[in-house]
Amino acid sequence: MAELLVAEHLEKIYGEGDIATRALKDVSFTLQQGEFASIVGQSGSGKSTLLNLLGLLDTPSSGNVRYEGRDTASLGRQSLAALRNELIGFVFQFHYLLPEFSVWENLTMPAAIAGRAIDTAEKDRALKTLALLGLEGLEDKNANALSGGQKQRVAIGRALMNRPKLILADEPTGNLDTANTEAVYKLFREISAEYGTTFLVVTHDRRIAQQTDRILEVLDGELVQDVRNEYVAAKE
Amino acid sequence: MLSLTIAARFLKKSPGQSALIIGGIAVGIATQVFVGSLITSLQADLVDTTVGSSAHITLEATADGATVDKSLATDATAAEPLISTAVPVRTLSGIFTQGSESVPLSLTGADFEGLDTIYKLSDRITSGSPGLDSDEALVGIAFAERYNVSPGDTVALLLPDGTSGDLKIRGLFDLGAAAANERIVFVDEAFAAEALDLADDEYTAIQIQLTDVFASTDVADRLATGLDVSATDWQSQNAELLSGLQAQSASSAMIQVFVLVAVALGIASTLAISAVQKTRQIGILKAMGMGDGAAGRIFLWQAALLGSGGTLGGIVLGYALIWGFSLAPVPFSITPEPVFIAISGAIGISVALASSIIPIRKTSRLDPIEVIQNG
Repeated sequence: MAELLVAEHLEKIYGEGDIATRALKDVSFTLQQGEFASIVGQSGSGKSTLLNLLGLLDTPSSGNVRYEGRDTASLGRQSLAALRNELIGFVFQFHYLLPEFSVWENLTMPAAIAGRAIDTAEKDRALKTLALLGLEGLEDKNANALSGGQKQRVAIGRALMNRPKLILADEPTGNLDTANTEAVYKLFREISAEYGTTFLVVTHDRRIAQQTDRILEVLDGELVQDVRNEYVAAKE
Repeated sequence: MLSLTIAARFLKKSPGQSALIIGGIAVGIATQVFVGSLITSLQADLVDTTVGSSAHITLEATADGATVDKSLATDATAAEPLISTAVPVRTLSGIFTQGSESVPLSLTGADFEGLDTIYKLSDRITSGSPGLDSDEALVGIAFAERYNVSPGDTVALLLPDGTSGDLKIRGLFDLGAAAANERIVFVDEAFAAEALDLADDEYTAIQIQLTDVFASTDVADRLATGLDVSATDWQSQNAELLSGLQAQSASSAMIQVFVLVAVALGIASTLAISAVQKTRQIGILKAMGMGDGAAGRIFLWQAALLGSGGTLGGIVLGYALIWGFSLAPVPFSITPEPVFIAISGAIGISVALASSIIPIRKTSRLDPIEVIQNG
């Protein structure tokens, strides 16, 4: 497998002087293309901070994130935005759909931001994504008119639309019931298998983490464990 | 164009808020169009009433009592392109006596066509007929009313050479000013030449009208220097009127500036509220890779849409107000100036765009992490 992401000695410090808080302490690891991994930890352990740094949404106090060998520390805001659009899809606990737009428009928004015309190939891709997510027929509905589970599935679809190499998901099923949670992770697996997309899911729920191939555990800002999930690996 | 699409959707999502601000801009621009057109038309009417039917510049010989040659009118017209009419005239005074009352009159003698171009007499004759033959006179309506004379009557005037001249009243005019209607008398140029004992090409003055009345001082200065004559212009004779017009322009400008400031504040506050309301959407758009510039342009487009919608509505409303004013029983009409209205529209849209600076900066600086962290 090719090396997709390298986190090198990541540190994140909030505040200065006496009130300075080290949210992340010297976190380093490598993620290979196609991996299905999770970050677990207690609330406040620093796992979301780590995800935001990996997603280029936030900048580390020290250390570096490299994507496919590209150093991101020296990039400006515009270049980071372009890199996010090209390489990363985000799924958050809250769906963050644009209530002013339809399901179809929300789905194709990353392509529109990239400046790509919605041509036949793009349309086919969107329809295929909708089918994969079980959202056929809902294209023209306003995003606000959907149920919680449907909204989260549209958000997943939106994250997939640019066929990113990496999906970063921060408690993606935090607002969903058990049935919808199961369905989302099943979907993640299918997407990973079909497109070779790398997944890194942040969760505080060990049962969910147990469904991933690799578990990175963060405790008090430190990466204390980085293990292959034997149970899943054995199943494979 | 994505920024434009998003801007339009944001506005469409809050139709009440959008309609209110478009209405606010429309009222502001309508006020601007109406007040500006009203003041401009009022001033044009006032100037036209005051000097539209009189000489803007009068050229006379520099020496007291000396006459000017008829050719001076041609020379002046050749020298100054702003001159629309230059008419040689012979002016003299006369005294009209009725019973125990005597009144000094100002007689202007010239051929009728010449007088018509300066004083628009053909349009201003209220009874009798336009035109002047020898021994005929045109008198003002105030004079006729006060001394109970009418066309066809003959009046006797005491002339400067001590003789008496009988003039038959051909018509009555209304120059729009009471003093002029009582004291001015137009006579044939031959009558004036005889009374003043002048040769055929000798005149007392050249009366001039300009295409731009407010250029009179400059043109008079140039003529006085270039042609070695004494030049008197209407502006130096009407300083109070001019200062009144300037004060009116200044107050009109003040009203328009305050209206624009109110419009700017209205748009700025609406966009600022919109920027706060849409923080989550902007944050996620940026997380998905939208650049700072494109995110900022959303609010520039919102300002442009609100500004152009409001401005267009304001111009329509302004025209409606002007039309409504035309129905009112006032002896004055407003003529909308397309250039002024186009400038008002451009200012309205520019103010709207300028009002978006703060939300644009705020949006450009927004980090997606602020939204993601705060949910």
